[in-house]
Amino acid sequence: MLAALKKHKWSYVGMAACLLLLVLLPTEYLLAEKISLLTAVGVYSIVAVGLCLLMGYTGQVALGQAAFFGLGAYISAVLSTTHNVNPWLAMLIAAVATGAFAYVVGFPILRLRGNYLAMATLGLGIIMWVLFRNLSQYTGGPDGITGVPDLSIGGFVFDTDLRKYSLIWAFCIVILLISQNVMRSRAGRALRAIHGSEGAAESVGVNVTQFKVKIFVLSAVYASVAGSLYAHQTNAIGPGSFDFLASVLILTMAVVGGLASVWGAVFGAAAILILKIEWIPEMSKMSFFRPLFMSGAAYLISYGLLLMVVMIFLPNGLFVSLRDAFDSWRRRRTQRGVAG
Amino acid sequence: MSASILETKALTKAFGGLTAVDKIDLSVEAGKITSVIGPNGAGKTTLFNLIAGVYAPTSGEILFQGNPLGHAPPHKRAALGIARTFQNVLLFDNMTALENVMTGQHPRSRYGFFEAAFRLPKSHREEEAISLAAKRYLTLVGLGMYADRNPLSLPLGQQKLLTIARALATEPKLLLLDEPGAGLNALEKQSLSELIRRIREMGVTIVLVEHDMDLVMGIAEWVIVLDSGQKIAEGTASQVQKDKKVIAAYLGEEEAIE
Repeated sequence: MLAALKKHKWSYVGMAACLLLLVLLPTEYLLAEKISLLTAVGVYSIVAVGLCLLMGYTGQVALGQAAFFGLGAYISAVLSTTHNVNPWLAMLIAAVATGAFAYVVGFPILRLRGNYLAMATLGLGIIMWVLFRNLSQYTGGPDGITGVPDLSIGGFVFDTDLRKYSLIWAFCIVILLISQNVMRSRAGRALRAIHGSEGAAESVGVNVTQFKVKIFVLSAVYASVAGSLYAHQTNAIGPGSFDFLASVLILTMAVVGGLASVWGAVFGAAAILILKIEWIPEMSKMSFFRPLFMSGAAYLISYGLLLMVVMIFLPNGLFVSLRDAFDSWRRRRTQRGVAG
Repeated sequence: MSASILETKALTKAFGGLTAVDKIDLSVEAGKITSVIGPNGAGKTTLFNLIAGVYAPTSGEILFQGNPLGHAPPHKRAALGIARTFQNVLLFDNMTALENVMTGQHPRSRYGFFEAAFRLPKSHREEEAISLAAKRYLTLVGLGMYADRNPLSLPLGQQKLLTIARALATEPKLLLLDEPGAGLNALEKQSLSELIRRIREMGVTIVLVEHDMDLVMGIAEWVIVLDSGQKIAEGTASQVQKDKKVIAAYLGEEEAIE
């Protein structure tokens, strides 16, 4: 235990710093102005970390994560609103159903080698969005579903911004810890082995198909849980949050943060949401950029540019690159200390 | 040949019109070092891939410890005790040398996602055993001090030793080595021979495909010669060296066997 603590010292320091930051962040200014942004970072971090496990660690490209995010949100919203199901139970049903759905979709595709998953999930994302929008009798069509109840435990209702923020970040932290534990385990090594070489992974006894399917299902369940939390946080959902652009948004978060890094997902989610919610609307006020803001083109262009720049210059992602730079700075410093 | 650990019966693999392995019958004696040699394109690597389960045979069958392997996929064969290395190394470059070897312990451990996610006692126990075993195998091949290195930062000779450690970590009964000597210098080949003998002393049966005749003749206790997908001779190294068919097969190919 102590040895493990020592070995992963910096990641525990990082974790503690994150937690401290999370507790200190909701100051009065932030409470008034930015709490919904901070809460959204928590929601999207959960989806993005699922994609990191799938893409960064296991090497399976998926382009339709918004489909599972949307399934979680819609199942939760429909069950808890029109059928009066307990929201927690609805969240559980959504997670199980989305996981089962991902299994049914993933199993035949993941048996094949090659990036068929990317194509299939791309199609899935588009189909699900059309279904969310057009199955009006269940989903409310383009208007979506309103009046989704708040979550509560006993008599304690998560109805204020600060309470929702706390609840979502509690979920997020637990999911990040679980993900980190899994990646440092036997299963995590098997997944990374698949990324390294499927043939070699098989040769050391890894059931490649089974592990690929498991991590795909896990990433879908993460997205579903995030979707349920999102539905109960905003109390209203619509198909616009789960379109192709949303899948690209999630992909960009995972890539910018650093695909093979659990904590990078938070970093990526924060960076991209600040860009989306703060910077792009600000830019739209400048006349130079105005033509770009027809029909959301600015968002697509920004994400596309970011993806390209990060992939070319920082293929490990911003977070991982910064961490590596910090590591090598620390190493140089200790070496100089020894020499002096 | 008394106790054979591996047998093939009329084993055949055709790729379209090309019969890469043609009705091969062979028997590998348990606890010995057997070498499969033959000119380029003789079907050696195809034979390996059939035994490891990468390819399904077109016809014929493979028996491991007397049981037919049928269509068992490679990961099941690894669990049964068949391990292999690859000609083109195939190390996992996204983890350290030690983690590469730890991955080899996969079939000898059980704990899964759930135990890992919540760090249940079972995961600690198994993880400790996995890491101990991996360190042991890493030390056995002489790479103990490179545990934290990225495998691709090691020279080729050490990368090949690392793949042997990874394969050994699956605790095999039968170890298939695909050209372990290729690309190594004389000194490295020397220590490779010693390592292979030491592995045999641990009770592991070894089958190696190798081009380097000095290496083969130095360590192989039984030599099987393939040419154009067929077995043309087998025997001890000295018997095979005198075989007319073997000499003919090698003529025009490099030098004839010394």
